Amino acid sequence: VTGPLITTKFHAPARRPTSVPRPRLTQRLATGARLILIAAPAGFGKTSILTEWLATLDGDTAVAWVSLDERDDPENQFWAYVITALDRAVPGVGTTALDLLAAANPTEAALATLINDLDASAREIVLVLDDLHTIENPAIHAGLAFLVDGLPENVRLVIATRADPPLPLARLRALGGLLELRAADLRFTADEAAEYLNGSMGLGVGDDDVRALGERTEGWIAAIQLAALSLRGRDDAAAFIAGFAGDDRYVVDYLVEEVLQQQDDAARTFLLETSILSRLTGDLCDAVTGTTGGGGILESLDRANLFLVPLDDRREWYRYHHLFGEMLRARMLDERPERLAELHARASEWLERNGQTTEAIDHALGAGAFERAAGLILAAMRTMQQHRQEATLVQWFERLPPEVVRATPGLSIGFAGVLLSSGRTDGVEALLNDAEDAVGGNTDGILDLRRGIALYRAAQALTQGDLETASQQSATAVELALDGSDIDRGSANGLRGLVLWALGDLVAAEQSWAVSLDNLYRAGHRSDMIGGSIAMADILLARGRLRDARDVYARGLEVAAETEPVRRGAADMHIGMAEVLREQGDLEGARRHLAAAEGLGEYAGMPQARHRRRMAAAGLARTEGDPAAAIALLDDAERLYTPDFFPEVRPIAALRARLHLAAGRVADASEWARRRGVAADDELSYLREHDHITLARLLLATEQIDEASHLLARLLDAAQAGQRGGSVIELLVLTAVAQQRAGTADAALDTLRRAVALAEPEGYLAVFADEGEPMRRLLAALAKRDGTNAYLRRVQAAAGGAPRASTSGVIDPLSDRELDVLRLLGSDLGGPEIARELFISLNTLRTHTKNVYAKLSVTSRREAVRRGAELGLLAPR
Amino acid sequence: VTSFPSSSPQRYEIRVSGRLDPRWATWFDGMTLTSTDDGSTVIRGALADQAALHGILRRVRDAGLPLISITPLDDQLDTPLND
Repeated sequence: VTGPLITTKFHAPARRPTSVPRPRLTQRLATGARLILIAAPAGFGKTSILTEWLATLDGDTAVAWVSLDERDDPENQFWAYVITALDRAVPGVGTTALDLLAAANPTEAALATLINDLDASAREIVLVLDDLHTIENPAIHAGLAFLVDGLPENVRLVIATRADPPLPLARLRALGGLLELRAADLRFTADEAAEYLNGSMGLGVGDDDVRALGERTEGWIAAIQLAALSLRGRDDAAAFIAGFAGDDRYVVDYLVEEVLQQQDDAARTFLLETSILSRLTGDLCDAVTGTTGGGGILESLDRANLFLVPLDDRREWYRYHHLFGEMLRARMLDERPERLAELHARASEWLERNGQTTEAIDHALGAGAFERAAGLILAAMRTMQQHRQEATLVQWFERLPPEVVRATPGLSIGFAGVLLSSGRTDGVEALLNDAEDAVGGNTDGILDLRRGIALYRAAQALTQGDLETASQQSATAVELALDGSDIDRGSANGLRGLVLWALGDLVAAEQSWAVSLDNLYRAGHRSDMIGGSIAMADILLARGRLRDARDVYARGLEVAAETEPVRRGAADMHIGMAEVLREQGDLEGARRHLAAAEGLGEYAGMPQARHRRRMAAAGLARTEGDPAAAIALLDDAERLYTPDFFPEVRPIAALRARLHLAAGRVADASEWARRRGVAADDELSYLREHDHITLARLLLATEQIDEASHLLARLLDAAQAGQRGGSVIELLVLTAVAQQRAGTADAALDTLRRAVALAEPEGYLAVFADEGEPMRRLLAALAKRDGTNAYLRRVQAAAGGAPRASTSGVIDPLSDRELDVLRLLGSDLGGPEIARELFISLNTLRTHTKNVYAKLSVTSRREAVRRGAELGLLAPR
Repeated sequence: VTSFPSSSPQRYEIRVSGRLDPRWATWFDGMTLTSTDDGSTVIRGALADQAALHGILRRVRDAGLPLISITPLDDQLDTPLND
């Protein structure tokens, strides 16, 4: 799902036949603690005690095992392994979470879903994270804390590590849910050491010697095992132990040296040379050492118990025991450093041939074979990006020498793109310049490169507010994409659309977005298409094309519902739809869509959905005549505001100033104008239009009618020139109010007549209704003079006193799970079938059903379905 | 020219338990190793910054060496700061 995963990492190492049973530890593990921390240095038997305990669990307990290493430090990679491990242990339990992860949702969204699905599964689950100390990414630790916090009753999380993870361990200890096994617990006792040396290994070591060994090693298991290896085949056990005990050399160093001395030269060389590999198999070892028979050597090392850990049941893949491997690598580095580059290069070639690209790249970098690494990275780039592995790409790029990146334009552009997509702009310009220089006068196959350069330049300029550069570069990108792929055209036109939008050229922006959405859809980039739909609809709304905006949202909702769970951005489509419906006076419909957006949860939307939903709710509250509630919602929206590439054409502060005016808080609105530095004689521009219309409202409220009229006239000219039909209608409405106030009633009615004529085809209502009493009188006068029609009657009804906030909405929104249950209640499936469908137990289903009934205030399935349908909750998400 | 006081390379002394063979110097990135009478080893050298220090400590951990102490050496104070 998220790039190629290495399946041996899911394999719990097999127990060695020579292991000593340690009931004193397995009994403690079996006490049912939900969080188990096994923290001790290398070689203390952390993994062994876990495999021993796991073997005692009954078959009903599902075990998910992940062996972690440094390569798993990128957040996506880490969670892909963890969730996949769970999904392999309990099929289906991680499916949705993996989908969410793959679709670039926030990790918390995936984890929240995972927690729900774990909870809903009836299985007892043990999740083991082995070698967690290899993970340093704080984002992963935060995610783990989140997981620990929400850990369901049926899940036990086991962490084996050399360093305590940054979890709130003190609090967890105090709560009593944490079981710890630490170095002091794991050390061999004298009995265990004797059992191991004499029982398992059959060495016949005397009590005093056992005690001497135990004291010298302090019960360190790896050291005792090494000592046992050295003792094997010696007749002078006592002398060896005496010599060892009397030596102050580092225990493990001493013993590894002993073991290595017992090997013949070939075996010793094999051990040292293959120590550069994080995973070993016969063929790979042969490639690295340049000899044959690696498989046989591995087998014999395995038989001889020589610190080889099998990674699968077929004994094809192994790794060295970590501590032993470190010792070998330290020796290799000292004795044969000149061989390292070649060994890494051979490993890299073998891994590439066998399709293990990421490891091949790591070894190429390790070998200093940068040209080779560059080629591999270039070839892997698109796949890595598709699988959202940008973090790994950045690590690779940073390990390449700058001159290698500079020499290959594809790498410079790739690096720039990866940096931009992870929110970084440092160095991007230099990379793009390098790429451009490297492309130079070449003409072959460089259109793609040039388009890439232009696209990223445009994106960076837009971020930095340099619209002129953004415009030039995005135009170039669009031109160069003409003969490119669908996705090339989709992204270039989308960016062009954003730039044109910011420049206020809405007609051209709309055309660009239409091309972009079309191409994104064809390219299968549906989530991007939904994201683009937000921009498209915003532009259509500014142009006064309510019906077209509504179609865009409806199409977006359809596309979002193609998958289960719904695609990200579904919430944004509901929010947009709510705004259109409010504008058209369908307040019930607007409420329904806002409830649907909320019901999907915070994660079903783009990051901006959080503030946009509250802004839409504020608009609704305003139209319902409750400006105080609307102001509170905007305060919330401001707190949650998340900027994006979109121009900020409706600043929250200005919206709030309008609400202050509606609530009679003129001083607050004046304060906004002062702070914002907005004045009636400012030069006008599209980006400041919303501020200036707000100022005109303030001028009207403070009886500065002439100034207001003058500003409105200028704004109207500008809006008409910019073909912003939505603004034109609002400005005409305000102008009519101003003219009425100035005592020119005939002019006011003429203006209002124009507004109504423009508004009718699109069905605008709220723009009139929001003006309250003065508008009601004007509309009545217009109806009296011109005679009335169906539309005018609707406008009058809407303006004739908006109903107070309805209580028909669901007070307590249904959770995702409850919505699933509600939808299936609408089918003809019985209870057990619904439970099966949702992978939950019948009991859990009953709980959900009870909650659904309570929230909808109903008492039966039929009522629940009817009520759900009324509230628009039955549509597939 | 005035600049902010920055973290220039700092010399450290890292003491671990057990006598380490001098060949481990390569493993510890060219730092010098000295064995002491009390059976511990002192690893000495200049480290560019905190990240480099943590890198060395990680190697200490991965080699299973019990860490006894870390002491910054202030011998750079003897060198004039500017001339």
